[in-house]
Formats: sequence, C-alpha cells, structure tokens
Amino acid sequence: MNGTKATLGRDIGRMLEALAGLVGVTAVVALVWGEFYVVPALAVSAAIPFGVGYALTTLFEDAEDPGKLHGMMVAASGWFAVALFGSLPFLLVAWTVELDPALLSVPSSARTSTLAAFTEPLNAFFESMSGFTGTGLTMTDNEEVLPRTLQWWRSFIEWVGGVGVIVLTTAILARPGSGSLTLYESEARSEKIHPSIVSTVRTIWWIFVLFTFVSITLLWLAGMPIWGAINHGMTGLATGGFSITDNSIATYDSVAIDFALLPIMTLGSIAFPIHFLILRGDLKNFYTDLQTRWVLGGFTLGSAFLWALVYFGGTYGSAFTALRYGLFQFVSAMSCTGFQTAVSSTNVALGNWTAAAQLTVAGGMVVGAAAGSTVGGIKLIRLATLIKGIQHRVSDVFYPASAVRRLEIDGRRLDEREARREFEEAGIIAVLWVAFLTVAMFVLLPVLPMSEYTLENVIFEVASAQGNVGLSAGITGPSMPDLGKVMFLFNMWIGRLEIIPVLVLLRVIFRRGGVYR
Amino acid sequence: MNVERIPLIGQVLESGADDRVLDGLLLSGPIVIALIVLLGRNLLTEGIAVTYLLVFVGYVAYLGLQ
Repeated sequence: MNGTKATLGRDIGRMLEALAGLVGVTAVVALVWGEFYVVPALAVSAAIPFGVGYALTTLFEDAEDPGKLHGMMVAASGWFAVALFGSLPFLLVAWTVELDPALLSVPSSARTSTLAAFTEPLNAFFESMSGFTGTGLTMTDNEEVLPRTLQWWRSFIEWVGGVGVIVLTTAILARPGSGSLTLYESEARSEKIHPSIVSTVRTIWWIFVLFTFVSITLLWLAGMPIWGAINHGMTGLATGGFSITDNSIATYDSVAIDFALLPIMTLGSIAFPIHFLILRGDLKNFYTDLQTRWVLGGFTLGSAFLWALVYFGGTYGSAFTALRYGLFQFVSAMSCTGFQTAVSSTNVALGNWTAAAQLTVAGGMVVGAAAGSTVGGIKLIRLATLIKGIQHRVSDVFYPASAVRRLEIDGRRLDEREARREFEEAGIIAVLWVAFLTVAMFVLLPVLPMSEYTLENVIFEVASAQGNVGLSAGITGPSMPDLGKVMFLFNMWIGRLEIIPVLVLLRVIFRRGGVYR
Repeated sequence: MNVERIPLIGQVLESGADDRVLDGLLLSGPIVIALIVLLGRNLLTEGIAVTYLLVFVGYVAYLGLQ
C-alpha cells in the first residue's frame, strides 16, 4: 500500500471514529426525549462509520504523518466523508418512519413531509454537508415537526463543524507531532494559542464550550424557550444558522431575542486566539487586533449602510424597524451565521428587499469575518491583505527602484518576498472564490424556473452557499432541482476549506484516474 | 484530594486560561442549564442565569481593568 493512501486512510478513519462518537452522544438526546424509535437508526448510523473508521485506522496504523499535500487531501476528503456518513441519521430515521416497523411503535406525528424529504439520499447528504460546513441552508420545509433527535443532530453537527472536524479529532485523539499541525492548517486555520497543537485545540474547545453555555443562558433570559436556546445558542455561536423553527429567528418575533443574538454571532466572528487573550484580561485586543477591529467596524458600517438602504428605500416605515432588521441581517450575513428575521410571514422577506440591499447582504457574506474563528467567506485578513497590497503596489511607482519598502499587515512588517507570497495567496483565493461563484450562477440560472427568481436572488443564494452562510432568498429547498443541490454541495464543501485543499484533492484524483495529464 | 486528577475536571483545568473563576463558569454551565430545564422559568432560575452572566461579563471586565 503506498504512503498517500495509508496516510489518508488512517486519518479519515480517525475522523469517522470521532463521528461515530457524535452519533452516540445524540442517542442520549433520543432517550431523554423518549424518541425510542430513532435509536436503532442511530445505532446503525454510529456502527457504520465506526466500523469503517476502525478498519481504516487498524489497517493503516503505521502510516506516515501527513505532509502538506497529504494534509490538504485529508482535510478535503475527510470533510467529504464526514458529511457523507453524517447524513446517515437523517436518511435512516426518515426511512424508519417511512417503513413504520410495528416493533418500534413510531408515533403518527413523526410522519411528516418534512422528514420524508430525507428519504432521498441527496437531501440527507445536503443537510449533513450544510450542517458540518456551518452553512445552514436546509432541505426541510418545517424544522419544527422534525423529531427532537434530528433537531439536535442538525445543531450538533453545526456546532462541531464550527470549530472543525479535524480540530475535534485532534483534540480527542491527541496525536502530538507535525502531522496534527499540518492537518490543523489544512482546515483553514493558522494561528496557534500554545506552542503545542494539541493544547491549542483543547483550549479552542474550552473557549467554545464556555461561550456556548453563556450563549444558551443569554438567549433563555431574552425569552427563548430552553430547547430553542440550547439549539440556537449552539448554532449561533458556531455561526451555522440552523434553526429548530420554521421561520428561523423570525418565529419568535422578539426584539430582545434579535438583539441577544448579536453578541453571540459577534463572539463567533472573532478568532479564538484573540478570545483567549481577552479572557486573560487583554481587552485592548478589541482594537489592536486588525481582524477584530475590522469585524466590529465592518458590522457597524455595513449595518448602517443596510439600515439606510432599507429605511430610505421604503422597505420599512420606521427607523427602529429598519435598524432591527438591517442590523440583524447584516451581522448574520457577515458573521456567516444565516439566521433570518426578515421573512414573509412577519415582515418583508429578504428576497423582496431592494436589489441594492440584497447585494449589500451578499457582499457581507462573501467577505465574512475573522480567519481563525467559526465563520466562512474569504475572511477579513485576506481583504486587508488585498487592500494594503494594492496600495503598496500602486505607491511603488512613487519610490525609486532602490528603495527598501515593507508592507505592514496586522502589526507584522513583511519584506518583499513575504508580502508577495501573502498578497498572491489572498489574490488567488479571492479569484477562485469569484470564479466558483460565477460557475454556480451559470449552473443555477438555467435549472431554476426563470420567472420565479431574479439574478440578485441567484447571486445571493450562491454567495450564501459558498460563504457557508445559510441566508436564503427562497431558492434552496427539497423541491430545488438536483443539479442545483449538487452544485451547492460542492460550493459548501470548497467554501469551508477555502477551495485550495479541494482543488488539490481533485487534481490528484483526476491525474491518477487518467482524466488529464 | 487533588481536583486536577479527576478525569473530566482535570482536562478542563488543564485546557483553559489558567483561571479558576473561568474554569468554574465552564464547569457550572451544565448545572445552570440543567436547573433551568428541571425547574422551568421562575425567579430562582432567572436569578441564577443573571448571576451566571454577570459573573462572566463582570469578571472578564475586571481582568481587563487590572
């Protein structure tokens, strides 16, 4: 067996074992809620990834640590595998209810069209990929009627996916050495909290769990029932955006809940190393750290601009209503959370906002917030690098060729070579981001009914899928054409991993498969 | 007895910001939520939840001002 397959097999096996553990935790929720009929489906959903994972880790026990290439391939294929196997609870619970075995006493209330949609493997896979990547676009019509176990599974996979499947695996399996660092970096993370990668991921989890309890308590105090607070606290902090209610946060129609979610989404938008420093009393990081400063500035400026658009554009009649919806929807978009308060049952739906307002929200989704947090999008550090890099290049003209100049980003003074490398990386990712957005638009436009959706609706939805946001103009749903679902699956996958690891994996697969040389 | 030798608690204390108050908030979080679930919304549980949040925000602010 060659080294690449062994390394891939061993590390993916470990991720699948961790996934089986997550399903096991979910079985506890089924027992607490008395949903005993889902337990066999969960047992099978845990047994399959555990069996495959155990076989792979045992078979390739002595595989080498991953290098940069292997790390990227493990990240891309591991996320795909986890999303694929993570769809089993959706699929098998739906089929349990559909087949209704007498032995399991399935209640008639469980038989709903929403759950039946998951008997389609593509829908179950879509939901799982959307969950793990923290996107929040859904194949459900009405989340409220799902079994509590599946409501929890959706929230749980978003919560875990927010920090990262590899981060979870590294924390649990605690394998010291360069391999863990390579995988950590392949999952779109770079900054460390401690010199040791295992200590770093454990501290990330420590911060994340503490913030989760704080978020749940805050939402409950704001008036949300405790089951909703648990689920929305988890998905809000993970900036995932899955909800357990039909109309997302709009269901509660509560100003207090809307405003309580703002600090939760903001916490999810700030990088974990900065949280660590702030929790140690170093509050000046709120303004000294470039990304955190830009997150807070971006939220303020973007919300103010969106407020102006929806207020002066006549979408909302009162300045406060415009502030409530504009502020929430912009923070929800730029933090890549995807909670919605602007839906048609309570007010003007996002898809009916003016084109300028929709594109402003889409802009927030594309940029995202801080790298090293739970958000998606291109990330602010790349935007900063691009802006500063362009300024640097333009001002080059005004200096003599012999001048030694350094580019300053986030307190670091980069020499010419470093600046060129970082600027190039930011440029490549930005270009690839736009390229795949464009591809998805061209795929989606012909398969959607022409009269139902405008171009801005399509741009909005594609940006939402690839930015792992989850805000919807109404396109995504079980009735969406299969080609659109497959395209969005791809967009969500590449968006979570910042494209390059997926392209590396596809290149290796295609070259070895003889598709091109 | 050394609390750091208790399996789950030991890992929490080892992983965090080397701060007993924040570690305590993390460890008491599930208890606060369990109380809310079991007792429902009343003056006692609201008081506990408010205290939990105030300790978190107040303590981080206190650390920052030190």
